Amino acid sequence: MPGHEEVIGTVAGPGEDPNEFIFVTPADQPIKTGEFITYDVTVDGESRSVFARVTNRELIRGLPEGFLADPEVGPETVAATLGVPTDDTELYRMTATVIGFYNTNMETFANPRQLPDPGTPLSIAPDGQLETVLPNLGCDTVETEVTQLDGVAHIGWLLNRPERATNIHIPIEEFASTHLAILAATGSGKSYTASVLIEEMMRPTSRASLLVFDPHGEYDTLAEMQGHESFREEDGYEPDVVYYDPERLQVRISELEIGDVMAILDNPSNRMQDRLSTAWRSMQNQESETWGIDDLMTEMRSEFGGNDASVGALEWRLRRSIQRNDLFDPEENVPLDEIIDPGQCTVLQMDTLDRRDQQLITTVLLRRLYRERLNDVRGRESEVEHPVFALFEEGHRFAPTSGDAPSLGIMRTITSEGRKFGFGLGIISQRPSKIDQDVLSQCGTQISMKIRNPNDQDAIKKSVEAAGEDVLRELPGLTPGQAIVSGDAMNTPALIQVRPRRTEHGAGSLDVIDKWREAYDARQREPTRSESADFGEGDSTGVQSLD
Amino acid sequence: MTDQTTEMETANVDSCVQIGSIVSSNSHLDYVVEVYKDRDCERPPKLSEREFGQPVFIKKTIDGTEHAVMGVIYDTQLVDPDQGRTGPRLAQDDQAQFTPGYIEERTTLAGVALLGTATVNEDRTITDPTHRMPRWTLEVDDTVYHCPDEITASFHTIDGQIQLAYIDRLVDIAGDLGAEVIVALIDRLRSVLPNEDPNQRVLDVVEQNVEWQAHERRGVV
Repeated sequence: MPGHEEVIGTVAGPGEDPNEFIFVTPADQPIKTGEFITYDVTVDGESRSVFARVTNRELIRGLPEGFLADPEVGPETVAATLGVPTDDTELYRMTATVIGFYNTNMETFANPRQLPDPGTPLSIAPDGQLETVLPNLGCDTVETEVTQLDGVAHIGWLLNRPERATNIHIPIEEFASTHLAILAATGSGKSYTASVLIEEMMRPTSRASLLVFDPHGEYDTLAEMQGHESFREEDGYEPDVVYYDPERLQVRISELEIGDVMAILDNPSNRMQDRLSTAWRSMQNQESETWGIDDLMTEMRSEFGGNDASVGALEWRLRRSIQRNDLFDPEENVPLDEIIDPGQCTVLQMDTLDRRDQQLITTVLLRRLYRERLNDVRGRESEVEHPVFALFEEGHRFAPTSGDAPSLGIMRTITSEGRKFGFGLGIISQRPSKIDQDVLSQCGTQISMKIRNPNDQDAIKKSVEAAGEDVLRELPGLTPGQAIVSGDAMNTPALIQVRPRRTEHGAGSLDVIDKWREAYDARQREPTRSESADFGEGDSTGVQSLD
Repeated sequence: MTDQTTEMETANVDSCVQIGSIVSSNSHLDYVVEVYKDRDCERPPKLSEREFGQPVFIKKTIDGTEHAVMGVIYDTQLVDPDQGRTGPRLAQDDQAQFTPGYIEERTTLAGVALLGTATVNEDRTITDPTHRMPRWTLEVDDTVYHCPDEITASFHTIDGQIQLAYIDRLVDIAGDLGAEVIVALIDRLRSVLPNEDPNQRVLDVVEQNVEWQAHERRGVV
C-alpha cells in the first residue's frame, strides 16, 4: 500500500449500523475516538483507499477489576504475582464508521456500500491525504499540496493528531457564499475563531470585503493586521481595517421602512398606524431622500388636517423615538463605499448603542447592501460591485427566535437568497436556541465549539443537517479552542484545534480580581474624609419619621 | 501453623521432617502420599506438620544437579480397610487372641499438587525457583519432606517479588478446595514476611480476589 502508514488493527466484522464495522487493536496502538483510519477496497476494478472514522473504543481483554482492589498496589504487580503476563495484554474492540473513498471525479466522498472483509488490515490515514479530502476543496487527486491553493482558510489542525500535523484548510468561497455559523458557549473561543477566519480572509490570497457587526467592541485588535508581515504582498496589498464608532453610525430616515418605524414607536393605535403608513408611503415616493420628521408631519397634516388627534399623538411619538435619537438623521447615511471595499475589514462598533438601535442600523445597512448586490448581479448600476461577507457577533440579537427584531426579515432573506447575489452572512452566537431556526438552518458551514446547554445542543441537532450523532456527542466535552467543523466547507465533519491568531486577541473575560485590587488600591490612596460627602442636594434620604 | 523456632533450625533441605512417601498419582502434577506413622520412620510428622495447605518438597537429582520439586498438600483422606466389614473371625479355639498384621493398614493419604521446582545449593538451601510445571515424573516410594516456611518463602520470591504463578494449575488440581489451599499458602507467606513488606498488600489483593471468585462460584454472592 503506497503512502500508507503501518498497520494498526485488523477488521473483525460488521457492526450494528450498515456503515459500521468492528476492528481489534492491541494496546500499543493508541487509537483515539474520532481518529481517521483507512483500508483498501477494490471498486470497479480499481483499488481505492476508503476512509473511516473511529467512533467507539472498548476493552475486550485486560486485567480483571478485582486486581484494582488496593489503590496502593498496581494491577501489574498483582498480575505479576499470579504469573499473569502483563505486556501488551490489553485488546481493544473499536467501532468505526465508513466515510467513503475520495472520488476524484465528484471531488467528494463516495460510499463503497461495502464493508471491509474480516481480516482486512487498517492503517492510520496519512496526514497529507486527510488535508486534501476532509475539507471540501475540490481537489482532483487524493493528495494535493493544499497550502498552495488560493482562497483557503487555515483554521487549525486535527485534534487527534500532533500539533500542526494535519492542517485543515477550509474553502473561503464555500462558507462565504452559503453562510457560516460559529456556535459556542461563552469563553470557548468563538470570537477567537472568528478572528482567525477574518485573518485568513484578509490574507493576500483572498482579499475579502468584510463587515463585522460588533456589539461588544471585541475586535479592536484586528488592526494589527495592517503592517503585519504575513498579510503583506509584493504587489503592495495590505489589509485595511476600518473601525466605525457608534457616532458615525447613522441611518437616514428615508431608508427606514414603515415596518421599522412601527417597531420603534410606543404602541401606536390602529388609526395611528394607518395615518403613518399613508404619510410614509407618500414621503418615500418623493424625489428627495433627505426628509425629516418635520417634513413628514407637514405631509401628515396636509393629508389628515391639523386637528386630527391621532396625528398629534403620532407627532409626539415620532419626535421622541426618531428625532431625538442621534442614530437617525434626515440626510446623513453610512456611506457604503466607505465601509465596503475589497481587502477591507470594517468593524462596526456598536457597543454604546442600545439593542433596538443596533438592530435598526443593521436592518438598514443589510437592506441597502442587499439592494446594491441585487442591482450588481442584475447588471444595474450599483455601489457594491463585489461579493460581501458580513459577520455578526451575538447573532441571536439580530435574528432572534422571538421574532421581534426588525432585522430578522432581511437576515432571513439574505440567508436564503444571498448566495445568488454574493452576499454571505456569518452568525456567531453562544445561544443557538435563541437564533431563528430559518436563519440557522441556512448557514451551510458550522463551527461548533463547547456547548453544554441541552436546549442549545438540541438547536444544533435540529438545524445543522451535517452534524451527525457522533459529532454532537463530542460537543459537551470540548475545551476552549477545540471545535467541530461541519457542513458545506467540509466533506465530512472533523474535530479540530483552532490555530493561534497571528494578531493579539482582544476579547476574553475581564480580569475581575485584578480590577478589584486596582480599584481598592486606588481607594486607599484617596485622602480619608471625616464626613462622607452629601450628594443629596439637601434632601435627606435617611430614616424618616412616619408621623 | 508450625512452630516458628523449629523452622529456623531446619531451614536446610537435608534436615527436614519426612512426611511420607508417594504411593500413586492421579496425573503428572497430582500425587498421593501415604503419611508416615510411628513405625515407618524415626520421627513421624506431627499433625501440624502435615496439615492442609502445608508446602512439601521431593528431592530429585537430574543430570547430576539436585533439584527440589515443590508441592503442597491440598487434600487428605483416611483409609481403613476394615471399615464396613464385620471384622475377622476366629477360626480355631486355641488362639485366644487374634492380632493380624493388617491392623496397621489404617493409614492417612495426602494429596500433593506440584507447584514448581528449584535447584538445591551446596549450602542446602534452594535457588532459581520456578513456578512452571515440573517436567520430571516422581516415583513411587519417593520421600516427601515437610517444607519449612523459610524455604517456602524463598520458593515464592522471584526477583524480590512474591509470586504464585502456579495458581491456575493449583486451582485446577485442587478443585473444590482450590481457594482454601491458596488462602492457606498466602497466610503462611504473610506470616513469614515482615509486616511492612509491600508484598503484604499484594497478597491481600490476591487473597481477596481468590476468595471472591470462590464465593461467586459457590453462589454466595
